[in-house]
Amino acid sequence: MSNHRQVVEALFGGGKPSGSGPAGRLPTSWVGVGVVALLALWGVSSLYYTVQPEERAVVKRFGEVVGISDPGLHFKLPFGIDRVQIVATERVLKEEFGFRSVGGDERTQYSNEEFPDESLMLSGDLNMIDAEWVVQYRIGDPIKFLYSMREPVRTLRDISESVMRRAVGNRLGSEVLTTARVEISTMVRDELQAAMERYDTGIHIVTVELQDVVPPSAVQPAFNEVNEARQERERMINEATKQANQQLPLAQGQASRVIAEAEGYATERVNGALGETARFRSILAEYRAAPDVTRTRMYLEALGTVLPNVGSVIVTQDGQIPPVPLLNLRDAQPSQGGAK
Amino acid sequence: MKVAGLGGIVIAVTLFLGWNAIFVVDQAEQAIVVQFGEPVGEAISEPGLHFKTPFIQDVRRFDRRLLAWDGDISQIPTLGREFVIVDTTARWRIADPLQFLRSVRDEAGARTRLDDIIDSVARDIVSGTHLEEIVRSRDWDVDDAAIEPGAAVPADVALDKPKKGRERLEQEMLAAAAKQMPELGIELVDVRIKRINYIDSVRRQVESRMISERQSIAERFRSEGMGKSQEILGQMGRELRTISSEAERQAAEIRGKADAEATKIYGEAYGADPEFFAFMRTLESYRSMGENTTLMIDGDADYFRYIESTRKR
Repeated sequence: MSNHRQVVEALFGGGKPSGSGPAGRLPTSWVGVGVVALLALWGVSSLYYTVQPEERAVVKRFGEVVGISDPGLHFKLPFGIDRVQIVATERVLKEEFGFRSVGGDERTQYSNEEFPDESLMLSGDLNMIDAEWVVQYRIGDPIKFLYSMREPVRTLRDISESVMRRAVGNRLGSEVLTTARVEISTMVRDELQAAMERYDTGIHIVTVELQDVVPPSAVQPAFNEVNEARQERERMINEATKQANQQLPLAQGQASRVIAEAEGYATERVNGALGETARFRSILAEYRAAPDVTRTRMYLEALGTVLPNVGSVIVTQDGQIPPVPLLNLRDAQPSQGGAK
Repeated sequence: MKVAGLGGIVIAVTLFLGWNAIFVVDQAEQAIVVQFGEPVGEAISEPGLHFKTPFIQDVRRFDRRLLAWDGDISQIPTLGREFVIVDTTARWRIADPLQFLRSVRDEAGARTRLDDIIDSVARDIVSGTHLEEIVRSRDWDVDDAAIEPGAAVPADVALDKPKKGRERLEQEMLAAAAKQMPELGIELVDVRIKRINYIDSVRRQVESRMISERQSIAERFRSEGMGKSQEILGQMGRELRTISSEAERQAAEIRGKADAEATKIYGEAYGADPEFFAFMRTLESYRSMGENTTLMIDGDADYFRYIESTRKR
């Protein structure tokens, strides 16, 4: 302790002679005590560190890595001899491309800002595609993560963009928009992982997920138009089918009706014929028994029923004026009667 | 007290000198000791505590890790004369710190050299290549059948496998740029094309091409719909006619048969006495005469034979 005092006095209080008097000694010793206390505080506070469950700590002694410590409370050499860098190894981290999520309280919100430089790319048939994706990764090896690349996350971003463009550029635009999504994300994941291993970054790629993969915004209305046209095609086909479904059963019913009516007619006709001929036969049988009388009777009966209903009967005789010019008389009579 | 003060000064000076003689090389670093600007000894790549002559010697530190380089975005015409934006990225490390210190001094200096070298290499290679070659890769495998029907693939875009492909071009860039690296003390690990895209004016052209392509597909769907609808309606018309004509044919057949049968029945029955049949039918037909009929009967008719006398004639 006295050694310390001396050092402290030499450093801080050395300018003043120490024995100048009790009044002068007091401040000097107070400064010394303060400095020692500060040093002690620094020493104690830099003597231990805690590692959270999802983290690992890389311990360096004089700049050289000497080990990794697991979660918990640990001690180290103070005064900057041992330094600790904490890396969240168990946490799944993510990098977003073409969009950014901003932390919301209840649910993730997406900023409206767009990043066309990141997301616009060319497909193999030289169409443009606007793709957004997320890379999820974990820091597998904290030492490699810290000491084999200076900016591993930036490299991850660069390579991810490069690989995604290669994957999209190797397919037709229409495939990228529809069927090839899964293939592309696994391919990007694998190539990205290979690149990360090649650079020894200690990063482990968990997944690559494609989000919105759409044509560039200027072209989207035209894509929607195609969908609408497809719907319209279905609608037109459905309407025609509906009309056919409406009319064909009706026509079939009508056809059945026409046939049934014809059959009805046939039955009626045959029955009529049978009935009439039966009647004829019966009459004929009686007629044959007494032809003349029957003939006359039939004749007279017929005229007897016919003549009362006939409008007018004109009896003509040889030598008379032909009746034709007189025919109008009957029609003129009511008007003559009216004139009387 | 005087001795103690002197001792304090000595200790302070020793500490100060000692402090200046010690330096720490971090795990991420490599260092060179320089004396009046001249490097002394080999580069130090071992992390830990190291010593040097205080004040006279100085330490230059360099990063030992792999570093990222991101080029400026440059507009380059391809062999097909389209202007494209090319953004390259590279990874490099300081492989020979002594050489590095001599030739470029520090990272900023290295960056400007890398900018020049990689940009010019990228420019050379991109401008000597068709755009498809840069976009596609060697494992390009697209069959024409996968092309959306009706999609107008522009005539100038062939769907051939690229001769070199993106990775080969990247390798060529790396090889060309890496040649100039040893004299800078730099090792270039890779060069990649990060982004490649049309410049804005070309982009608008491509967009309008894509729009017209989509519109032609939409038009095809619509006319397909109309065609299909017409087809269905036509078939319906045909079936309707088939159904009704078939029914009418059957009906006529049935009626005809019935008529024939009736005729046969009548013929057989009336044939027994045609004269009587004619007489009877005629009488029956008189019954249909009504009010609007004017009947002229000759006075000599049978009906009037008893009008003038009741004698038997």
